[in-house]
Amino acid sequence: MKYTLTVNGERKRIEADADADVASTLRAAGYKGVKCGCDGGVCGASTVIIDGEARMACGLSMASVAGSEIETIEALGSQGDLHPIQQAFVDHLAVQCGFCIPGMIMQTKQLLAETTDPSEQEVREAIDDVVCRCTGYQKPVEAVLDAAQRLRNDSAGIEESTAMTDGGTLDSGGERRD
Amino acid sequence: MARSTAEVSAVTDRDGVPDGGTATPRAPDDAEHPLEWDEQENNDLSPEERTSVSQPAEKVDDRKLVTGQAKYTADYDERFPELARAKVVRSEIPHGNVVDIDASAAKAMDGVCAVITPDDEAVPDAKYTSAGQSYPEPSPWDMRVLNEHVRYVGDPVAAVAAVDEETAEEAAAAIEIEYEEHDHVVDPEAAFSEDAPRLFGADEVDNEIVGHDYARNRMAHIEGKIGEVAAATEREDVHVHESEWSTIRQSHAQVEKHTTLAYTDEDERHVLITSTQVPNHTRRQLAHLFDVPIRDVRVKKPRVGGGFGGKQAMVVEPIALALSLAASRPVLYEATREEEFGAMRSRHPMRVRARSAVTADGTIEAIELYALSNTGAYGSHGMTVAGNVGSKPLPLYSKVPNVRFEADIVHTNTPQTGAMRGYGAPQGTLALEGHLDRVARDLGIDPIEFRRDHYMEVGDLDAIAGMMGGEGAERRIRSCGLDECIARGKEAVGWDDLEQPAAEQLHRGIGMALSAQGTGVAGDELGAAQIMMNEDGSFHLQVGGVDIGTGADTAFVQIAAEVLGCAPADVVVKTSDTDNTPFDYGAYASSTTYISGMAVKKAAEDAKERILKWGSHMLDEPVEQLDTCGSEVYSDRTGASVTLEEIGYESVYGEETREHILGKGTHSTEESPPPFAAQFVDVTVNEETGEFDVNKLVVAVDCGVAINPKMAEGQIEGANHMSYEMAVNEGITVDSEGRAEQRDYEEYSFPTATESPPIESILVETHEPTGPFGAKSVAEVPTNTVPPALSNAVREAVGVRITDMPITAEKIKRALDEP
Ligand code: FES
Ligand code: FES
Repeated sequence: MKYTLTVNGERKRIEADADADVASTLRAAGYKGVKCGCDGGVCGASTVIIDGEARMACGLSMASVAGSEIETIEALGSQGDLHPIQQAFVDHLAVQCGFCIPGMIMQTKQLLAETTDPSEQEVREAIDDVVCRCTGYQKPVEAVLDAAQRLRNDSAGIEESTAMTDGGTLDSGGERRD
Repeated sequence: MARSTAEVSAVTDRDGVPDGGTATPRAPDDAEHPLEWDEQENNDLSPEERTSVSQPAEKVDDRKLVTGQAKYTADYDERFPELARAKVVRSEIPHGNVVDIDASAAKAMDGVCAVITPDDEAVPDAKYTSAGQSYPEPSPWDMRVLNEHVRYVGDPVAAVAAVDEETAEEAAAAIEIEYEEHDHVVDPEAAFSEDAPRLFGADEVDNEIVGHDYARNRMAHIEGKIGEVAAATEREDVHVHESEWSTIRQSHAQVEKHTTLAYTDEDERHVLITSTQVPNHTRRQLAHLFDVPIRDVRVKKPRVGGGFGGKQAMVVEPIALALSLAASRPVLYEATREEEFGAMRSRHPMRVRARSAVTADGTIEAIELYALSNTGAYGSHGMTVAGNVGSKPLPLYSKVPNVRFEADIVHTNTPQTGAMRGYGAPQGTLALEGHLDRVARDLGIDPIEFRRDHYMEVGDLDAIAGMMGGEGAERRIRSCGLDECIARGKEAVGWDDLEQPAAEQLHRGIGMALSAQGTGVAGDELGAAQIMMNEDGSFHLQVGGVDIGTGADTAFVQIAAEVLGCAPADVVVKTSDTDNTPFDYGAYASSTTYISGMAVKKAAEDAKERILKWGSHMLDEPVEQLDTCGSEVYSDRTGASVTLEEIGYESVYGEETREHILGKGTHSTEESPPPFAAQFVDVTVNEETGEFDVNKLVVAVDCGVAINPKMAEGQIEGANHMSYEMAVNEGITVDSEGRAEQRDYEEYSFPTATESPPIESILVETHEPTGPFGAKSVAEVPTNTVPPALSNAVREAVGVRITDMPITAEKIKRALDEP
């Protein structure tokens, strides 16, 4: 069967069986940012946004998402021009192996679309379905809270501060030692 | 090699077969371990002098990770149009022999590319160990790629490659296996007996390990001692305390499953793109298993989605390679999550007994630990992990004159165990730190001061670390931030001003525990690096060292940039491809920054020497006056400078002489300095129900100079979360047939974001002169400490002590209800 979907704003016709799983179909179509860490529906690594709702793509059949709008991690920023959520994850060193991160960022995106100023507890609840073995959730939670702040600043038209509180890039070889 | 001494010596019964990888005893020697380390001047930089090291720096792979562009093993599928998918058929019985396999239906299916069974030509019949360790291998060769004698539910028996996942699954399901069942044993205490069902026959193991006694299912026995514990415990002025502790079978639960892609290239060389911690060991082991020259195997590690020791093992690679040889096409084998829990590797569950002899005023005269380790069906990492139960925690109390450790490592018909972050130290630390808390309480002494009277300090010659198997060797302590770790941890947790909750049934308490680890396997590590200068003044850095998500690549770049005086962004790092990067032992034993990082530093220094020569030539000034900084070579005397870019172009395209500026470095050492951790756990317990909330975890770590402080914090937090899980989760449990009862994260009760307490990590900087820019390890030591600290906190809050993990409301309630 061919299914028509909107993926990351582009209309796509994707060949797949009706019961084919959305995560593997997206991966086969080149959206490799969709990760699979379990046998289906438990780890959250395959989380994408389907018609405005963050969902694990692996448990879903292609037939059930026909005609939907799907957003994957590839829809956000590029390496040279990160989305503020991605930038916050980078600046807080909230990423270790990175395998859970696309799913966590998609969950964050939905959270911040609904709640611009979440509490720490709300952040933890939003990413509760995403298993991360590396970070103990500490830095990701800090990154999400900071991302919320950045997005609020953006919408209030405040210039993004270049001096990051944490992290930040070192772009010179430093001053001479003498 | 200095893996072990004294009572641990290897048994080798046949010529030419490597022994169990243990060493010749050596007497302690003061002069061999000078306190003053002959350190290079550039290694000890004050914080103001550092331009790259310990500065905030972006993790080099983060941008591709957060945009979904990074490539893990499974993402390479698109490059192989002919790629087949693998499925493994695993034993359904706990113990027995395969008497017949009917694979005819599977073979006849459309889309099936290959079916392999133990007798197939493509399947090696050599024995091996899956443990990815150095050579000679200190784990027994006790398994085959596919097994006829199956020893646990999950043992691989056959495998299928097919055009897609579904076909592979259907074909695997169509394979019929007939077994002759044997008696089985699941409990390690029951297994350790001549009357128990025996897992290994007389000739079923090669490369046997010290103390093996397969008639009693024992794969190894180790012991070591300093002084005379028995005599000390008989003294009149001491009190002997005894306690017993047990730990869970923890899953690594790394989110990327074991995944490997195998093919044979146009030069007929075997290539593995694989999620591994040990590319070079895997290459050697595959060559041995498949009987091909090492040079004809290439192991490439792409991004890895976590390892934690689970991938310090060659678990999936041989199956994929055998299938790809049988099918004559590339094969991808991605384990299922169910296989991860039931058939990959896990932490050795142990029962550890602690005994001490302490005088009434709180002087510890002797300490002894005994561990019974359940290694499951096979012996990978069995002896070395058990050795660490003693050789990591015990040295912390270097002032104790009499110390003894003993362990029996036994087989059961349960899933395989292996290396896991902490590597035996968590099991030993629970017993030791829980025990000391109990003794301090019995004597009415402050638990911290009690420890302080006995713990190590700079200048100590630590003989305990070298007294037995594992990763230890005798060493001089040259950096130790324990006092400050404790002081800052106490302050952060509010040790001195804890407020009790208003509700009467709620009680709050703080518990603490200390820990020491090592930095690499003493005397049994090697790292190497090469650096090449590009004409624009940037560099290519090639390192064998293995980044499995820890940020090691970033640390390499920061170390190189510090030496070269360039920006981190000017260093392109390429790691872990056995065809293109120098040798490395791999990511384990907390060695990467210390060993591979030092190799990077040496390579950068080698390149810098050439850069300064060129600077001298171009500036017409003596080399002694020159240094690099800010991507320039400058003269101290005249202030004149030339950029690295100018040197890059001149060196490659110059008129008179030309040179490609290259640097190389290799590093190995007898040293393995301990990092330290002071853990504090703040808990509130309901005395009516036993329910508890962990309010906060605080952990202060001395890892020397943190090369990237935020990354180091991330390591500490992740390790502490894993340690927390060890304290509160059941882990993998097995049924009466030894079958893993958990198939996914939910059944495993992995602590999620809402279930995980906040973690405050504190970096205490010391300077370790033997490490690159003063660094020692960080990633393992905070894995050891939550179980004892939480157990101690519960005791403080409500007066009961839980000694067998996990700590649960039911156990607390039961203990509270005891008369
Ligand atoms: S793979 Fe989709 S949730 Fe785990
Ligand atoms: S960063 Fe590795 S699983 Fe989250």
